[in-house]
Amino acid sequence: MNWIPIILTLKLSLITTLILFVLALPLAYWLSVTSSKIKAIVETLVSMPLVLPPTVLGFYLLLAFSPQNTFGAWLDQWLGLKFVFTFHGLVLASCLYSLPFMVHPLQSGLSSLPSSITEAAIMHGKSKFTILRKVLLPNIKPSVLTALVLTFAHTMGEFGVVLMIGGNISGKTKVASIAVYDEVEALNYGMANQYSLILIGLSFLTLLMVYLFNGGFFKQYLK
Amino acid sequence: MIDLRLRKVLESDNTKMVLDLNLQFKKGQFITLYGESGSGKTSTLRLISGLMKPDSGHLSIGQQCWFDEDKKINLAPSKRKIGFVFQDYALFPNMTVKENLFFALSDKTDQGTIEELVQMMDLGDLQNRKPESLSGGQKQRVALARALVGKPEILLLDEPLSALDYKMRYKLQKYILKIHQRYKLTTILVSHDIGEIIKLSDLVFELENGKIARQGSPAELFGLGSTSAKFQFTGEIIQIESEDVLVIVTLLVGNDLVKVVCDKEEAKQFYLGDKVLVGSKAFNPIIKKI
Amino acid sequence: MNQFEGNIVQIHSCGQLSIVTVELLDRNKVQSIIIDTSDTAPYLVLDTPVFVLFKETEVAISPEENPKISLQNRFRGKITAIEKGELLVRLSIETAAGNLVSMISKTALTDLDLFINDWVTALVKLNEITLSPK
Repeated sequence: MNWIPIILTLKLSLITTLILFVLALPLAYWLSVTSSKIKAIVETLVSMPLVLPPTVLGFYLLLAFSPQNTFGAWLDQWLGLKFVFTFHGLVLASCLYSLPFMVHPLQSGLSSLPSSITEAAIMHGKSKFTILRKVLLPNIKPSVLTALVLTFAHTMGEFGVVLMIGGNISGKTKVASIAVYDEVEALNYGMANQYSLILIGLSFLTLLMVYLFNGGFFKQYLK
Repeated sequence: MIDLRLRKVLESDNTKMVLDLNLQFKKGQFITLYGESGSGKTSTLRLISGLMKPDSGHLSIGQQCWFDEDKKINLAPSKRKIGFVFQDYALFPNMTVKENLFFALSDKTDQGTIEELVQMMDLGDLQNRKPESLSGGQKQRVALARALVGKPEILLLDEPLSALDYKMRYKLQKYILKIHQRYKLTTILVSHDIGEIIKLSDLVFELENGKIARQGSPAELFGLGSTSAKFQFTGEIIQIESEDVLVIVTLLVGNDLVKVVCDKEEAKQFYLGDKVLVGSKAFNPIIKKI
Repeated sequence: MNQFEGNIVQIHSCGQLSIVTVELLDRNKVQSIIIDTSDTAPYLVLDTPVFVLFKETEVAISPEENPKISLQNRFRGKITAIEKGELLVRLSIETAAGNLVSMISKTALTDLDLFINDWVTALVKLNEITLSPK
């Protein structure tokens, strides 16, 4: 059995989750505290990947980064970066695609904390970063876990975006979800089954972790 | 001398209120801001602390200027020597009492301060407990201690006791007075419990619609000393009933309901909800051992 | 509450207590005992205008002009109105110092055999008078 698609899938999900966590956290924080007039617009943009057909997203990414177009060509010439048909293209696409899954739980969690806690910390001279790290995040552990796990699981299940911008290159951009598609096309139902079952198993386990944690199952072990 | 001349337009939902403050008082005093909900008391505290930026004006504590719109001075909250006790205590749920206190420590202050505060506020047994396991009164003591870790000169208290029952309030009032005197603080309390205000304050500012309507000592503002009656309380009229040829007025004094007899002519000026002074000569009450 | 205006004409203090004599507008003198002295109450100075206050329920009534009894504060006047309840009655009495109200039991009224236009003396004890600076 060819494990590479599975490994690619896990690699993609992990890297996307980590990068998104770092990028989405400031955004989620800003959304939870701002009363700016552009908040609604930003929230809409963040939520778009939820409703857009993945292929649409993939298509425009393809156009944007294609070496035949100005932006793509510039990136290639000046930074040596190719986002089309490469693994890092997949990461970029996944970050956009899974953005709402990281932002929403974090934003929701941060909003649920009373503002007086942040203010009390400000009164003691702590920087925004320290407040986030020592006061806010520890108090929204369920939200953080949900955000991480949902992003991970969601990225695992990507198909349309990845196909568009990844190009289904074996060993590089053929992730497990695409591998399933390929095997079915080639009538290798056995292989397709193997990949599918693994994906189901992984999805189930990761989501189970979240619900168990939120339900307090791990409290006894964390004492 | 503390000089506060600040202006801020407050907008919430569809209402707009202009906070236009002009108050001066000496350091070391116990000040109370009194007024109805929405009159601007909490906002005033937030302006003093730096959590809210005024639109214009000037705020100085002695020689130090904390805010001046013309000179473009706006000192950050943490640089103002302030301890702030929030209405909901704002204790960090993920930390124990001890950790909450240590969090407030900046590099300069020493651990001895924390030891002393733990002793003073009787928090010894509670040090390793998390806030969720504490009672309201205990949380309040922790909040007070934490506000004092930074050795502030000014203590701001935003209706700290409003969520507590009468007995707890009474105990906490003693703690507040103790720390005010011990650390020679300038304390600014927001409260609408008249009994509490009379007990604790040196000076009262009454806010109405964002402006100072009256100011003076508690006695001046609440009419104490207006009679020779020694047995005096403030209360609120809960009920007025005609009985026989007189009127019985039921008052809420602190946590107790008391009934007082009145002449019917006199009772015509009283309405439900009125805040009144009820007094009797020292010669009247009977005392009996329980 | 009965309220009359007057001026402090004498302050006799001993320890924490003082007996303060107030001369009302009709020259009638009223005395009050209080736990205050000139040191503790800044208004306790001769000639200061004050109000004397006492409750209606604290006024005793006698048809006699000079009853032999310990109550020192006396007001002579004519009953102008009697309002009768089940247990109590409310008397309005017109005195030289002003209108005074007294509440006594209905039985007392019948026992004393009092009616409108009768002249009575209203009496109040020393320790039932409260002072209020004007």
